[in-house]
Order: sequence, then C-alpha cells, then structure tokens
Amino acid sequence: MEKTLNFLIEVGKLKRMPRRGWVLRGIKNPETIAAHTFRMTMMSWILCCKKKLNLNKVIKMCLIHDICEVCAGDTTPYDNILPKDRRQWKRVFDKWPRLSKKQKEENFLKKYKKEHEGLKKLIVSLPSDTRKEIYGLWNDYEKGLTPEGKFVRQLDRIENLLQALEYWKKEKKFAIGPWWIQIEELIDNPVLLEFMDALDKKFHSKPKK
Amino acid sequence: MEEKKFYLTKEGLERIEKEYKALKELKLAKTKGESPKVLHSEDLNPEYLAFQEDMDFLGLRIIELENIIKNSELIRLPRKEKQNIVDLGAQVTVEVDGQKDEFTLVGSLEANPSLGKISDESPVGKALLGRKVGEAVIVSSPIQTTYKIKKVKYHLS
Repeated sequence: MEKTLNFLIEVGKLKRMPRRGWVLRGIKNPETIAAHTFRMTMMSWILCCKKKLNLNKVIKMCLIHDICEVCAGDTTPYDNILPKDRRQWKRVFDKWPRLSKKQKEENFLKKYKKEHEGLKKLIVSLPSDTRKEIYGLWNDYEKGLTPEGKFVRQLDRIENLLQALEYWKKEKKFAIGPWWIQIEELIDNPVLLEFMDALDKKFHSKPKK
Repeated sequence: MEEKKFYLTKEGLERIEKEYKALKELKLAKTKGESPKVLHSEDLNPEYLAFQEDMDFLGLRIIELENIIKNSELIRLPRKEKQNIVDLGAQVTVEVDGQKDEFTLVGSLEANPSLGKISDESPVGKALLGRKVGEAVIVSSPIQTTYKIKKVKYHLS
C-alpha cells in the first residue's frame, strides 16, 4: 500500500501545477492541471454518447490523460517558437502556429517520448494490472486509437477552448482566434460540434438590447 | 435507410481488420473461460482490458467493426484530371494568415490532427473537400479564416 500512497502523493502535485499556456500569457492565478482534468471528466460524463462509447473507459481516460505531466511537465504548441524577448510573445500568441507535416510528426514524437518516460517513472511501483491499464489508456488517448481515445482527445481541446473563452471574456489579455482556428481543424464528433456552437452563442453573440 | 460508408486507406482498413480479428479471439477465449493471449502482451490495447470488465461492450465493438469492414470503401487515387481537387487521401498545402501548413484529408476513423491528418467531417475538412488549387476557402467560426489552396498531391498506394 505504501507504493500506492506514494503514487497518489505524486499525482496530487497536479493540484498545485498551473497550466503553462496561461502562465506564458500572464493570466493571474491560472487553473491547475488537476482543475482542467476535473472539468474535462465532468464534461465527458455529460457529453459522452453512452450507447456508442464505453463511459467507464472514457472517465478513466480523462482522469489519467495528463498525469504524466507530474514528471514530464506541461508543454504548449508554442514552446519551440517563442523568442527570447518576452515583449515579442504577444505577437506569437496572436497566431496559431503552422507547421509542415514533417515538423508535426517530429513534435508529436518528441512530446510522446518525453511524456512516455514521465508516465513510466510515475506508475512504475503500481500493481501490474493497474500499471498496464493506465499505460494502455494513455497510449490510446495520445494516439487516438479507439473511438473513446478520439473522443477524449477532442474533449481535451474543447475544455481548453471553454477555459480560454472564460479568461478571454474576463481579462481580454490575448487573442481568442488561435483557439477557434485550431478547434475547427480538430473536432469532428457531432456532439462536440454542437457544443462548439453553444460556446459560440454564449461567448460571441452580442447582448440583446 | 442507406448505410454509412467508411472511407479508409489500405493501411487503415488493415488496422481495423487486425483489431476485429483480435477482438473475436478475445471473445472466443472469454466464452471458453480462458485467459486470452492478447491480455499478456506488453503493448496492451486498453480496449482489451476495458472489455475484460464489460462483455457487452466487447460484443458492441465487434458489431461496429463488422459494420465498418462491410461498408468500407478504399480511398483510391482520383483520375489525373481531378488530381488538382481536394478529395479524401489528398495532401493539401495551404496558406493561412501568411503561414504555410500541410494537411492530409482522411476519413474520421483515421484522423489524427497532431500528425496533420484532418477529418473530412471537421469544419475545415468539410470546407476544403472538392475545392481546387488556387481557390481561397473561407471557414467562418466566430473568427473568419481563409485557407488558400497552394498544392494538392496524392500519395495513395
């Protein structure tokens, strides 16, 4: 039981780890990785089509999708392109970074390897069955291997968009365009496309006079 | 009602057929009360563990895969005169907001945007489908984005 306790203490660190994307944009008291996981899991329960997807698996996948970040740290799509001069960052954040197919593949592999190592280190002492299950769920999520993996991967981006819209509406510190541009290329799940419409109406429609 | 067609590359169809075969073996072993070989594999597909807990889902997934295989259609190279038009399997080079980007347009089952594989059912995928080199495609979410199609290539086997 001691090893399980140690794992839970390590995972608990996510409650204090701020999401890097918000830190880089200067958001005060940004959400933590655990806070993102909490709402994403809640969304998965409510938005998952229970007839088509295994909800049990979807919820477990949401819970573990970012735990590797305890060891591997949080990454953002802007990490490789941010200039040293912080005054230039706003200009960079105004656009969604565009990459060649080769660069996308290289970035994906680099992130995958780093997080894979982090996950292995984190779960090494857990019982074999639990370890295999966590690793399998994470691998499915990362590669979008099954319908559940694809759904959770899209949901991760949708929760991020919702959080971005909330900060954007409150603080107007950054451009919201890159989130929408990215999401229009990523989402194809019909329920999540409908949810995107709801987000658009809620955050972009002009208040009625 | 007409059944939905699943457009797949040759590799995509092979992956689905492999999964179908493995799940059928898993179901058979479970029915006989054996411990299936796939559960001892190091590169374990989580689906197998999830199905350990829930046989109903195993049955449903097998039916779903059967349906995909039955209604699958291989993505084929378009005729030469149509190879400047975006269709499934096309590698599209676009210019967006002054930056270059590359996508491959695939069916939903093979989509992986991190690797540049965009689903034909995503808003951008839908908008690009059927458009030609030289055209500018506007995608209107709250933010209007213009995708200028620079190049279309097919690398289908």
